[in-house]
Amino acid sequence: MNKGTDLKIKLNSLFLKNPVMPASGTFDVRDTILNKKQLSSLGAIVTKSISLEKRTGNPGPRIWETDGGMLNAVGIPSKGFEEFKEKELPLLKEANDTIIVSIVGNSNEDFCNLAGKLDQIEAISALEINLSCPNLNDGLHFGINTVVMAKLINNIKKSTQKVIIAKLSPNVSDITEMALAAEQAGADIITIANTLVGMAIDIENQKPRLGNKVGGLSGPAIRPIVVRMIWETSKVVKIPIIGVGGITCAEDALEMFLAGASAIQIGSANFSSPLVMFDVIEGIKEYLRRKNYSSIKDIVGIL
Amino acid sequence: MIFKKNIPAFTKGLVTENQHLKNEYYKIVINAPPIAEIAQPGQFVMLSKWKIKELLLKRPFSFYEIEPDRDNFSLLYKKVGKGTAIMSELKPGEYIELIGPLGNGFVIPENVKNIAVVARGIGVVPMLSLVKQGRKENKGIYSFLSASKNELLLGNDIMESLSVNTFYTTDDGSKGLPGNVTMFLEDLLGKIPDVIDAVYTCGSKRLARHIRELQKKYHFHAYISLEERMGCGIGSCKGCVIQTKHGYQRVCKEGPVFPLEEVVLDE
Repeated sequence: MNKGTDLKIKLNSLFLKNPVMPASGTFDVRDTILNKKQLSSLGAIVTKSISLEKRTGNPGPRIWETDGGMLNAVGIPSKGFEEFKEKELPLLKEANDTIIVSIVGNSNEDFCNLAGKLDQIEAISALEINLSCPNLNDGLHFGINTVVMAKLINNIKKSTQKVIIAKLSPNVSDITEMALAAEQAGADIITIANTLVGMAIDIENQKPRLGNKVGGLSGPAIRPIVVRMIWETSKVVKIPIIGVGGITCAEDALEMFLAGASAIQIGSANFSSPLVMFDVIEGIKEYLRRKNYSSIKDIVGIL
Repeated sequence: MIFKKNIPAFTKGLVTENQHLKNEYYKIVINAPPIAEIAQPGQFVMLSKWKIKELLLKRPFSFYEIEPDRDNFSLLYKKVGKGTAIMSELKPGEYIELIGPLGNGFVIPENVKNIAVVARGIGVVPMLSLVKQGRKENKGIYSFLSASKNELLLGNDIMESLSVNTFYTTDDGSKGLPGNVTMFLEDLLGKIPDVIDAVYTCGSKRLARHIRELQKKYHFHAYISLEERMGCGIGSCKGCVIQTKHGYQRVCKEGPVFPLEEVVLDE
């Protein structure tokens, strides 16, 4: 690799050959049409959220396209840990040497048991905690309450040696409070952000468009909000940030690096173009060359 | 394993024709060798002619005609929203972006002699290539076509030309009889109970429920092609599920064609 295009970056103790990866839930190694070479050239692969036990997900319709984005209320279906280990993990190992497993649960115990099991699997590099899920024990949402979230992260840290990535919810009044709480609780990296809660209504039938009534908004429409959140957060936390939300091209990704992200994820754009992640990688290299930077590290948080 | 053959292609397609048929209906012919070569009746493509920032998602379309020897396939579509409005403006020579062929197509079981296709309006789309395939395999075709009115019957001339018999119903009686299209199927089965070995339908759960009732009585194979809002078309997003006897299944991956008896048809 020539000097002008060094995309290698270390996020705390997580090493990435480049800073581009799919966002959880938008890419499945069991269903991808990418070839082996393409899969291995991604910075990492992030799985759909897995839970300890099987989850069925929400009734349809689960998807509704909106102006500049889409709402989804898929509801985190998961085949459970055992099937993940048996069927998905072998494919992941074949696909990429950096595997980030997104985890979800309905209680601290759920999360910790799952993290403990995943801790035993050497091929897994990091766990990304999906905090956008209600805690069924006390009825509070993990991702919007600093105390509930911090307790969860702290407990998970005790259950595993893996790098812990806290994927923050943007549905809060101050993202920096959440980020600081996650950092103090022991998160190694934070991902900003999950989807924004939204709703669409069919005015003819006078019904919500989604089976779950409300869903998560993703896509280009949310990107400026996420860029702002990354910028604010990067001023107050020391741990690295992974940016995600509405990236469709290298220019979008570069905004997030300049705002303070050390890596980025691509979500709903994968649905339309399976090759978008590679276009972004190439576009970042081209930008670094053009601006005479020797490494991606040089542009992280320069704003 | 993931690295299997016949993997769907992410490719460009060349528009060779884009014809306004009637009302809001159009037929587009696309040249895309990697897709046309392996496409099967009942499968579909994801299509876009827009930047992600204009419209986020590709749109799914079932194959209408498949012509592997000419590297072509056609789609019959209704202009209903922004995506299909852009499509309706496409000119021959323009390129579009495609992923396909996707999903599981129709199965014609080996011992089958005669098949029936039951379709309402644009539900005829996936049936034409199935019927052509059926003719290739020397199956007798019985077509049961319906629409709200005569002018909304689509592809019926060619379907009729390939069928042993074609039965029409329209809500206003402007072609055939008013009423349910399945009443003709019921009549036929009542007169000659074993005449139909397999019944194929598309889209409408109301039609499907009628066919399911007849299936319980006459024990034919039955298949339904379903549609649902899709995100990716390849299975990744888990967005396009329907309820089946085995739980939620993806229309894009486990479908779009399902054995009728596996689909939960309750409203």
